[in-house]
Amino acid sequence: MKTEIVESGNQLIARFSGRLDTLAAVQTAEDVKPLLSASNKDIILDCTELEYISSSGLRIFLSIRKEAAAHGCKVIVRNISNDIRQVFMMTGFISLFVIE
Amino acid sequence: MNEFILEEYHAQLPVFRRLESVVLSTLQNALERNDLLVTAVSTRIKTAESLAGKLALKGDKYHALNDITDILGARIITFYTDDVDRIAAMAEQLFDIDWQNSVDKRTLHQIDSFGYNSLHYVCRLPKSIIDDPQCPQLNEIRFELQLRTTLQHAWASINHDIGYKSGVEIPQEYLRRINRLAGILEMADDEFSRIRIEISDYRRRVHQLVQNGKLDDVQLNGDTFHSYLEVRPFDTLNRRIAAINQAEIREVPLDIYLRVFLALGCKTLGDVEKLKKSCAYDAYTLARHQLGNTGLDILSSSVGVQNICIVWILQQGGGKIGLTRLFNAINGDNDQNALLAEITYEQACNLPFMKKS
Repeated sequence: MKTEIVESGNQLIARFSGRLDTLAAVQTAEDVKPLLSASNKDIILDCTELEYISSSGLRIFLSIRKEAAAHGCKVIVRNISNDIRQVFMMTGFISLFVIE
Repeated sequence: MNEFILEEYHAQLPVFRRLESVVLSTLQNALERNDLLVTAVSTRIKTAESLAGKLALKGDKYHALNDITDILGARIITFYTDDVDRIAAMAEQLFDIDWQNSVDKRTLHQIDSFGYNSLHYVCRLPKSIIDDPQCPQLNEIRFELQLRTTLQHAWASINHDIGYKSGVEIPQEYLRRINRLAGILEMADDEFSRIRIEISDYRRRVHQLVQNGKLDDVQLNGDTFHSYLEVRPFDTLNRRIAAINQAEIREVPLDIYLRVFLALGCKTLGDVEKLKKSCAYDAYTLARHQLGNTGLDILSSSVGVQNICIVWILQQGGGKIGLTRLFNAINGDNDQNALLAEITYEQACNLPFMKKS
């Protein structure tokens, strides 16, 4: 599992690749810390290469969303696979995120 | 005499500034404590020019600065007339009121006259608020507290503006027209208060009906749906779904489902309740089918109501188009919703409730 964060104009883009399972979530939670303190920037969670997301991964996405909302930032989840889309829908979290 | 009063005014200005700060913070804190929302709270110290003007007009009346009670003025502008009385009661508890010099201008009008309406209290700070032996004047100086509604304030401000700007005596005809407006605003103020009282009564009645389960009598709208959500109608189903994977439930707002239920044809809370009851079991079956082998142990509190809507749409033959409309309503219009509808439809199509419909 790899997480890369790049800044592009008014956006912070986190690119996830691999499987965001319980084991990988510990490191990923560390990797996304710069997103939690972002302000006045939109946060893009680019999931083009994300193969799988577990509950632990969902918790990370939810904590990013919570902090972003507190700082007035928007979170956009981009390019999720159908399997991950299904996870968001089945758990009822899909309406919390802007999904592109 | 007037010069003496003006000199005293300049000497006492620092005390007035301190008094102003204490009065303002006392009022703001008390309003907050009593949950009283107002349009504005403000204070001002009369300028030397304004004081000189007042003395030139009514100089004989005053022998010392302390005779003038409005050097420091505080004003609270409320939304509703009832709030003027509530804040007056609050002020009576906070301050020592000089009743002899306080006046309720609202009660001074003849039955056939209209005009300036405001409640003026002349007050002193009691030692319970501030007690500074170095500055006993803080408890001795009187200040004026004006309480009025937003509409009363608008009328008073415009009336003052017209009176000052004209520079000539205003003909009777115009004065009559200005005062007629005061009458209209008084009626509007009363109507706003009545509307607020009636809305509160309506909310209480709805809440009572929801509590008593008489939901067929309650029309479905934003207010009533909010009351319905307060009794947490989807908790039982959510807990049942959460038990599939021993999941934790994260609270999310459910208000967006109002437009979904309206679009599904619900007209009363009773309709929502019936829909919920008729679909709850199948909504659970759908969730078990979806979540059963995933190990996902975190769910949103919308999962139950979302599945209820999915089941209802599919039972009514709404198919993928119906589901797309549902996802458009809860996720916002989005090209991806059709795809989501297709995935959901595929997941559900082998479940027993689909065979029945």
